[in-house]
Amino acid sequence: MEQQPKKHACSGLVEGDSGAWQEFLQQVIPQLYGMFLKSWPNPSLAEELVQKTVFDAVRGRTTYDPEKGTVEEWIFGIARNNIRLEIRKRAARPTVDGDISAYLDVMDTEPLPDELLENKETADIVRMALGQLEEKEQTTLRAMYIEGLSAREIAERMELTEKAVHSILYRARNSLRAKLKQLSAIPRDGETST
Amino acid sequence: MKPENNNLENNISRLVKLAGDSNQPPKGFTDSLINKAIDELSQQPGSATRERKSKFMTANKQLKIFAYAASILLVCGVLISAMLPSLSRTREYSKPTAMLGKEKQYTLPTGLESQQQPQTQAMSQVEQKGTNGSTASAPPLEYTQGGNKPLVASDMKSVRLLDKAERLGEPTGQPADHFMVMTKRDADVRGVRGYGVSGEARCIMPYPPPCKPPMAHGGSKLPNGEDVDAMFFKNYGVNPFIDTEDDHLSTFAMDVDTASYTLIRGYLHDGHIPPNDGVRVEEFVNYFKYNYPAPKKDDFAVYSEASPWQFGTNRNNSYLLRLGLKARQISEENRKPAILTFVIDVSGSMAREDRLGLVKKSLRLLIDNLKPEDKIGIAVYQTRGRKVMDYKGLVEKDDILAAIDSLSADGSTNAEEGIRIGYEMAERAYKPGYINRVILCTDGVANEGQTAAADILKVIKDKADKGITLSAIGFGMGNYNDVLLEQLGDKGNGHYAYVDTIAEAKRIFEENLIGTLQLIAKDAKVQVDFNPDVVRSYRLVGYENRDVPDEKFRDDKYDGGEVGAGHSVTALYEIKLWPEKKGKVATTYVRYKNADTGVVTEFKSEFNTNQLNRSFDDSSKQFRLAATVAEFAEILRNSYWAKGATLEPILHQAQTLSGEFRGDADVIELVDLVSKAQQLMLKSPAQPVEDSQSE
Repeated sequence: MEQQPKKHACSGLVEGDSGAWQEFLQQVIPQLYGMFLKSWPNPSLAEELVQKTVFDAVRGRTTYDPEKGTVEEWIFGIARNNIRLEIRKRAARPTVDGDISAYLDVMDTEPLPDELLENKETADIVRMALGQLEEKEQTTLRAMYIEGLSAREIAERMELTEKAVHSILYRARNSLRAKLKQLSAIPRDGETST
Repeated sequence: MKPENNNLENNISRLVKLAGDSNQPPKGFTDSLINKAIDELSQQPGSATRERKSKFMTANKQLKIFAYAASILLVCGVLISAMLPSLSRTREYSKPTAMLGKEKQYTLPTGLESQQQPQTQAMSQVEQKGTNGSTASAPPLEYTQGGNKPLVASDMKSVRLLDKAERLGEPTGQPADHFMVMTKRDADVRGVRGYGVSGEARCIMPYPPPCKPPMAHGGSKLPNGEDVDAMFFKNYGVNPFIDTEDDHLSTFAMDVDTASYTLIRGYLHDGHIPPNDGVRVEEFVNYFKYNYPAPKKDDFAVYSEASPWQFGTNRNNSYLLRLGLKARQISEENRKPAILTFVIDVSGSMAREDRLGLVKKSLRLLIDNLKPEDKIGIAVYQTRGRKVMDYKGLVEKDDILAAIDSLSADGSTNAEEGIRIGYEMAERAYKPGYINRVILCTDGVANEGQTAAADILKVIKDKADKGITLSAIGFGMGNYNDVLLEQLGDKGNGHYAYVDTIAEAKRIFEENLIGTLQLIAKDAKVQVDFNPDVVRSYRLVGYENRDVPDEKFRDDKYDGGEVGAGHSVTALYEIKLWPEKKGKVATTYVRYKNADTGVVTEFKSEFNTNQLNRSFDDSSKQFRLAATVAEFAEILRNSYWAKGATLEPILHQAQTLSGEFRGDADVIELVDLVSKAQQLMLKSPAQPVEDSQSE
């Protein structure tokens, strides 16, 4: 990585200069993301926390005081605070047991618990299920969620209409869930259903 | 799209992300977040906070100037009066003031006591001159009781000033109060070798000049850049190593408080190195659960263990001795019914960070865990104190909840009046055989009414003697008077806790409710008699503000600590042994009053060299946890005796422990805190913290 300037034009940040913010965020977002990922191996949670941290920083930009430290230290202070809040939130809720199979039926109505997502087995089973999908479905899901592309960008890349991408996604989600059901059922009772 | 499919989509999105291998965020995510952030920039000016902050800072500065001026005037006044023969009697006033609620002689101008000592009044006049003359912007003082001139002090600062004055005025060093210990301790912090725990050694070092700011401040900032305004901590020093030849007895009052730990973790989570003075090692150590088996018959069980150990740099033959005391447990059915009087601070500051919201949630939690016979009354204070609800039982639960919900935060802080009204209620409702407890919920600073802590402390001590005890529960960060609340809990024969989250409230009002409410022992003291033939020197780790003079151990009027049902107390001694000596290391004496009958009991427990563990790794996991936590605290408070110690082995130790204490959230959090502290301490301007965070 190239040498980043250690100090930013803080005045621009406090005053809400969009150029300064753009440059600053380009640099710190990957660092924040890495920091959260290190705390919990859960990319979606890391994204959520990065987002929260960035918005906390933008909204509280006038509270930044250059005499007290660099602007990086400041935003990392906010990030650590968000980690703390997350730890507290977790401490207050009951621990999750069981594997993903227990949650597949409620996936339409309830968000999956973070702890489940942080299970190594869950990641393994998702990789397996994803690898067994049709090529097109797999590519679309990966582009959408792992690369973070928009439907339009995916459509351009795959030379399809945007509407077609949406319908592939719709099918892909359901096939993924079916595959997960199938895979998570195997170790339990040896049954396979198609 | 059907709404329920949003959940499916989200869940699939979260699952698929798990299959990604990169530890970089998706490019699309970064770009879109930057765009959203820039949108947000144009929408919201966000300048209000800054204005508020600067206002606070000005107020703070004024307070400081005011305290400085008051201190100089006060000290001048004391010196002049000490020199003038005609006023020579004035010197004596320092004595009653020194007792600060500890002894009965001290009289308050509150109207609660009938006689008034002229000396006290002289004192209050000196003090008042200081306040009126020094600044016009000091908060207006409102006297709620007519007639007598109150002892005016802006806050705890002034109480400390009184301490200094009293030391200047009284060279004999009566070892009557915690405050007095500071002289010796200060000497020790500067690296001067320790003297006996009690006695004249206290006065040999000059006290720092009075113009030095008396209060330790957080000296840091909250993550949103807000100042941690006026966090009042007190430096109680660090206990020295004591040669057993000089003094083989070590005496201290038991302490089950845990507030220091909860407070300091807030600092660390927010990314700040905590103020040294806020770290009380014993409260760190006592925060953790050690699962000592509870005694079946007796009120206490003692568990001793010792292993080779050293804080900081190399020392030979150095051991850590742990004394674990566990109080008898009481079952839910056997808990005495309680009459609880809540005194809730609803001043303006309680609106910050939704402190009052947390109080309300905590109360609801408590109510859910009460028994039908229990009763609750509520008083509040802001600019004035008032009764909100007379005592109601759980049959009227809806009314209680409605009363709690109706509270809102506004105005200034007349703690004295609130506490007084609360105690008046409690006194009327008093029933023998019940737990009669006042529970003070506050962020700690009184700025109206009789704000001198001495006043409040005296009232509380009196009522505690009559059977109405007090729990001080601190809420919120900033404006927070740690010193005052700890003393309130101490004098009130209750305890002191700091609630930073609903999880902490659960710990106090749900998991440990019986222990919080029902006391097993009052005035509990511990005296450890080290065998000079085996032990060369010792150092009590923590308990600096719980020091009891050796000769007061069997003085049952002397204040000790209060221990609730099922509570455990852990004390650690760092000891150096003579080489090759065998035999008795120490005898631990425990003395307390049964909380119900008042009968004094004393028992002892011995520890021999053949009970020493061969190595640190041979010790129980509870022992290693206590040692780890203590060293962590020692490093955080920058203890002279932990010089050269680093957090790296602590982190390693904590990680190992978190594996052994499977699922103990406290230990897991400890790992997180140590690693945060480590990053903060390693951090230097040349090496921003993020370099160590992401790779």
